[in-house]
Amino acid sequence: MKFFLKILVLTVWWLSLGAAHAQITLDITKGVEGGGIPIAIAPFGGSSPENIAGIVAADLKRTGKFAPQSPQVRADYAVVGQAAPGGSRGYIVRFQLTGAQGGQLLNLSFDVPANQLRAVAHRISDLIYEKLTNEKGLAGTRIAYVAFGRGVYYLVVSDADGHNPQVILRSSQPIMSPAWSPDGSKLAYVSFEGRRAQIIVQDVYTGARRSVSAAPGINGAPSWSPDGRRLVFTLSQDGNPEIYALDLASQYPTRLTSSGSIDTEAVWLPDGSIVFTSDRGGSPQLYRIGPGGGSPQRLTFQGNYNARPTVSPDGRYIAMVHQRGSRFYIAVLDLQTRQFRVLTSGGLDESPSFAPDGKTIIYSNGRGVATVSVDGGAASREIALRGNARDAAWAPYGR
Amino acid sequence: MQNLVRMLIAAAALALLASCAATGENTGQEQTTTGAQPDATAQPGITAQPEQEVYSYPYGQAPSLDTYDTFDTSGGSATAHAGGQSGQAVTGPSGGVATADRIVYFSYDSTNIVPESRTIIENNARSLTKNPQMITQLEGHTDERGSREYNIALGERRANAVRQTMIAMGVSPQQIRVVSFGEERPAAAGHDERSYALNRRVEIIY
Repeated sequence: MKFFLKILVLTVWWLSLGAAHAQITLDITKGVEGGGIPIAIAPFGGSSPENIAGIVAADLKRTGKFAPQSPQVRADYAVVGQAAPGGSRGYIVRFQLTGAQGGQLLNLSFDVPANQLRAVAHRISDLIYEKLTNEKGLAGTRIAYVAFGRGVYYLVVSDADGHNPQVILRSSQPIMSPAWSPDGSKLAYVSFEGRRAQIIVQDVYTGARRSVSAAPGINGAPSWSPDGRRLVFTLSQDGNPEIYALDLASQYPTRLTSSGSIDTEAVWLPDGSIVFTSDRGGSPQLYRIGPGGGSPQRLTFQGNYNARPTVSPDGRYIAMVHQRGSRFYIAVLDLQTRQFRVLTSGGLDESPSFAPDGKTIIYSNGRGVATVSVDGGAASREIALRGNARDAAWAPYGR
Repeated sequence: MQNLVRMLIAAAALALLASCAATGENTGQEQTTTGAQPDATAQPGITAQPEQEVYSYPYGQAPSLDTYDTFDTSGGSATAHAGGQSGQAVTGPSGGVATADRIVYFSYDSTNIVPESRTIIENNARSLTKNPQMITQLEGHTDERGSREYNIALGERRANAVRQTMIAMGVSPQQIRVVSFGEERPAAAGHDERSYALNRRVEIIY
């Protein structure tokens, strides 16, 4: 991999002595995109309604770390498998992962119903990914997002690759800002049913809903505490938007901020502190307060629009919406090094949400939903979702 | 004419009351911040409130988004429900209609009320002061640029600017409710300055 990159850099340097600069930029992108560990994935034997090898190849390619190949090509690693009717549940799926020297690295089988074949394929992708990178994979995780079509709003939960989109809420009024509980069993979101804003907590698996806030004015931007017992959100019942915390076992929220300006979009950090957007300094910027409030410390100083923070699960990175000129970008602030980086090419980018790996960010770009990596390693990639998808939130690792 | 107006006002007031009852909202002091909603929506396919059309489904038994064949496929851009143009009627949420004489437009990043809008607000304020039982909902909107939740706050600022102007014109604060939809209910679907100008607005709904 390193060697491959070095050759690429040398080639680019050599080419740059020539003229075609635009072409060279393209080549760099392509080179990095096409890079990754070569892994040969053979079509699975047997008969299955899902193309398991195809799903695994797509999952591994999406990580940016693997280059799936056809089985004829010599590769560092090889995957072979079968999926056929049998077992007690409907299908038996087996697969083996072997190294270049033919050594067996994984050899597993699954007994599943037909409707779990996609899930098994994602599981296989994650097992391979974890074996070869020592990191947890995202193929088996899910995302929630809001879709819209012809006057109807949908709250949808799908697999991380956008497949298997299930509508858990349908409404004739807007739905906004879905946020996963830390255990992945509930979603808090804003619903305008009744033509006014409410914060609803919905159990994803039963469909049961509870309105946790329906104050006059704004009820917005819910975010869960790391222990899942509290929510922070925005209320404007006292005249202007302020941050409140609500213990879900109690009735009344506690106010955490106090200013004559906009305070909104609060998110909890793992240490209990809270980061939010405020225009108290004249333009929207990110500020940080302690678990019980207190005087806010300003975090962002780049340009005059930084809003909608999202925090990586380890608390190191804060991604946000950043404006430069007339364009909106996703940017990230490294709280350790204080380095600020713009990650996307910009436009109408908004609503960033960290994946549980702490390295991948999902966001909306005005056309749909895309992902980008926090280290800039993998180029931005759109997820194929129907229905003007936006406002995506990445679920935590499986419960 | 006078009769018709009175009837419309009565109907609007009834509709508002009905929607309050349905959502358990009180415009008064009663605490509505928290508390359980009826869990009628726990069952698939059961509406939360008869007139609201909200349905929730358990994951695993939920319909696939693919079963809804109602998405605009033209260009894949965000679409709005009403292609409102200046001077045309714009269909408000859940049937409420704001005609041009009930829409206040704003410049980019601004809550300033321009002189042309003052006349519109004045006319509506006059109806409200003449009919103290009448209630209006001021609905604030923004264009699609920037963060969604921050835009909710900006939309509320616009609605509050209209509210303050109405109060200065003698309308009782009790007659005014404010809701911000931010960028969630655009009047025009385009991603251009012309659409944005139509979307930065406050609708005066009765």
